[in-house]
Amino acid sequence: MRVTNMVPDMQYDMQQSNQALNAALQQVSTGLRVNQPSDDPTASANMVTSLAASASVDQYTTNTSAVTSLMQSTDSAFSGIVTSLNSALTIGTAGASGTENSTNRQAQASQLQSILSDVIRQANTTYQGAYVFGGSASTTPPFVAASTDYTSAQGSAATPLSATTALTAGSITTISDATTGESMEFKAAAGDTIATLQAQIASAVTAGTLSAGTTATINAAGQLDISTNNSSDGIVVSSNDAALGAMSATAGTQVANAYAYVGNSTVNSVQVGDAMVAATNVPGDQVFTQGASVLGAFSGLINALQNGTSTDIGTATAAMSAALTHVSSVRVPLDNTLSQLTSQQTYLGQEKVTLTSQQNSLVGISLAEAATNLSQAELANNATLAAAAKAMPQTLLDYLK
Amino acid sequence: MASLSNSLSIAVQALNAADGAITATNNNIANANTPGYTRQVAILQEAAPTNEGNVSIGNGVMLEGYQSVRDELVQSQIQQETQAQSGANAQLASMNQIQPAFTSSTQDIGTQMSALFSSISGLSTDPTSSSARQAVLTAGQNLATAFNNVSNTLTTQQSSLNTQVSQDVSQINQLSQQIAALNPQIAQLKSTGQDGGTAEDQQDELVLKLSALTSVSVTQTDSGETLTTGNGTPLVVGNQSYALQTTNGSNGMTQVLDQNGTNVTATLTSGDLGGTVQMRDTTIPGLQGQLDTLANQFATKFNTIQANGTDQNGNAGQNFFTIPSTVAGSAGSIAMNITDPALVAASSDGSAGGNGNLAAFSAVQTTQLSSGMTPGDSYSDLVFQVGSLASNANAESTATTSSLLQLNDQLASVSGVSIDQESANLITYQQAYEAAARVVSTIQSLFSITMSMGTAAAE
Repeated sequence: MRVTNMVPDMQYDMQQSNQALNAALQQVSTGLRVNQPSDDPTASANMVTSLAASASVDQYTTNTSAVTSLMQSTDSAFSGIVTSLNSALTIGTAGASGTENSTNRQAQASQLQSILSDVIRQANTTYQGAYVFGGSASTTPPFVAASTDYTSAQGSAATPLSATTALTAGSITTISDATTGESMEFKAAAGDTIATLQAQIASAVTAGTLSAGTTATINAAGQLDISTNNSSDGIVVSSNDAALGAMSATAGTQVANAYAYVGNSTVNSVQVGDAMVAATNVPGDQVFTQGASVLGAFSGLINALQNGTSTDIGTATAAMSAALTHVSSVRVPLDNTLSQLTSQQTYLGQEKVTLTSQQNSLVGISLAEAATNLSQAELANNATLAAAAKAMPQTLLDYLK
Repeated sequence: MASLSNSLSIAVQALNAADGAITATNNNIANANTPGYTRQVAILQEAAPTNEGNVSIGNGVMLEGYQSVRDELVQSQIQQETQAQSGANAQLASMNQIQPAFTSSTQDIGTQMSALFSSISGLSTDPTSSSARQAVLTAGQNLATAFNNVSNTLTTQQSSLNTQVSQDVSQINQLSQQIAALNPQIAQLKSTGQDGGTAEDQQDELVLKLSALTSVSVTQTDSGETLTTGNGTPLVVGNQSYALQTTNGSNGMTQVLDQNGTNVTATLTSGDLGGTVQMRDTTIPGLQGQLDTLANQFATKFNTIQANGTDQNGNAGQNFFTIPSTVAGSAGSIAMNITDPALVAASSDGSAGGNGNLAAFSAVQTTQLSSGMTPGDSYSDLVFQVGSLASNANAESTATTSSLLQLNDQLASVSGVSIDQESANLITYQQAYEAAARVVSTIQSLFSITMSMGTAAAE
């Protein structure tokens, strides 16, 4: 073919060579083979998925660490509770002895009251401001001293509440019973009145949720009065109903050694892996009021030491022993979770390495390969420039002198 | 009968022929680097011989004229390839502006989406934490901003392409006028059997520039070149050019109309205008539509889950994101609806410390949206499409550039000026000229001798 002008081809070749050199330089400087989606659309798309998986693994790792700390804090509380229960058991066993006199038993009852206070303190353990035994109601102490009588803020002699006083739809009134260890929650519907609440309380008493004799009446001051008729049956009442106002314990009605659980039974869960969810809390009712009730065991043993016979104390001590067994059994899943979290931490570490490796193979380039590519691109570029320098000045005119 | 005068006449004709050839060579050398120039050759023809009896004697050489050396087929292929190259280049330039928005970074949608899910997961470990709740709002805002930024990139690009359409149409009309103006001149030259020469070179160059702007079909007629766009819309017929017009369409985009007012925008497929229209009316709206759908479905899902949960004040969750009532424009205007950390509806049981609803938020990451894909997969698919479109445009641009280079080489092998060849020709014609001049000198000498023959005899 007749060649007239080599410049356009040389310029194209030099441009191509420079582009290749630039790409090789970029690979070396960034360590990446793919710097924009067009470099490798499939790898770029897969990288999006891989980076999302990587971010998830990072978060799972953080979650695992956070949950582990929370569970360790809970486990530490459990240790304290078990220690307290063992102390209580020792005192009960000593008190059940027929040789103990009344004075000693009163002293032992006092010791138990002190231990109970310690147990309540443990039961109200917080971790980063949240009560670990409160269920999802973790912003307020889950165990509250119970009273026999609560009255509403609203209502007065001049403007008394009545059975027909309308309640605010959606408002919640909760009565937690220290004796039964259960709670009644009343969520007002449209059209509900105090009479509806009263009927609900009566039903709860019938069902055994609330202690017998618990009633809601309008007192002489025109307030709603929720009370028990037994001095040893304590309750805790709360309400966010505007018609009632805040419910507060009447002074002097607190029941000794009676604590009601005002938390809930919700177990929060946290994802610590694509297919692994860890429970982050043990609701206090599961530990202290349900089954072999810890609080009931304390109340019973204190009462037996103060007023009962050796047989009563022995029975109450056996209940304390059962409570200890119960707490230990509730603690087992917690310890299992802690163990699983440790394994998960290791797994996530490996997963992170795998994903990083996958990302490197998707868009990365090894330094050796990048250096080799750069070397080849430099060589090719030099050759192109040398060829251009050699060929471009050559014309027939050079020889026609 | 042969004579000195006849010989002198032949020598003078030879001088003229060599001079003419040198002129052609000179013109070729002068235009060696002129774009669109077609090399010319001097047409030399042997003069009719003189017959004397049985003897036939030549009468030298005649300079018939000059001829441009053309290859219309290759020229036509170059025009077509130029259209394809310009179209690909327009799309490549546009995609190169768009794809950084889809490149993995700390600010891209995929990363921000992951950050939002991470913040939600982090909140689940401590649902009452104000800082963790604030982190969710911040991540939500960052994701909304990422959607806004990418949408804005697409809108801005579409807007600048729209401006380009008007500019291209203006240039097309200008070039059509210039081409039409050359048609009568070339037609007249050709009607007299002459070469189109410089005028034809200029017209070819103008058609090439026009090809870079839009798809052009060229037909040779007696009245010159007839030019139409790809769909047959006439641009040049004889000495008449037909201007394309522009008007604002219902979508706010510039539409291209032919001389009859018919909208021909959709038929523009190649050249810079074709590539620009393709990007403006098909590629970018396609990407924007997918982005809007993703933003809308993602936000709708979050709002639904938020409504199913309870915020820290014990109220049903308010909308997490604000989105328009239609899918269109969702990516551009998505924003956070809640700004108070307490309003994140983390709880499913109404308790302030509940985190049950956060699991529903987290599940969005692995749940198919109504598009049939998870949010991550939808975005991943979008990244693939952007990469693929940019890569294809790049491949098309590279391929057409390479092909165009070869075609230009092919054309240059016929029509291009070779300095070496012209130098050799120059020597050839120089020698021819010198030889003819020597003949004239010799004949002059012979004339002198002949004239002095009578004088010598008289002395």
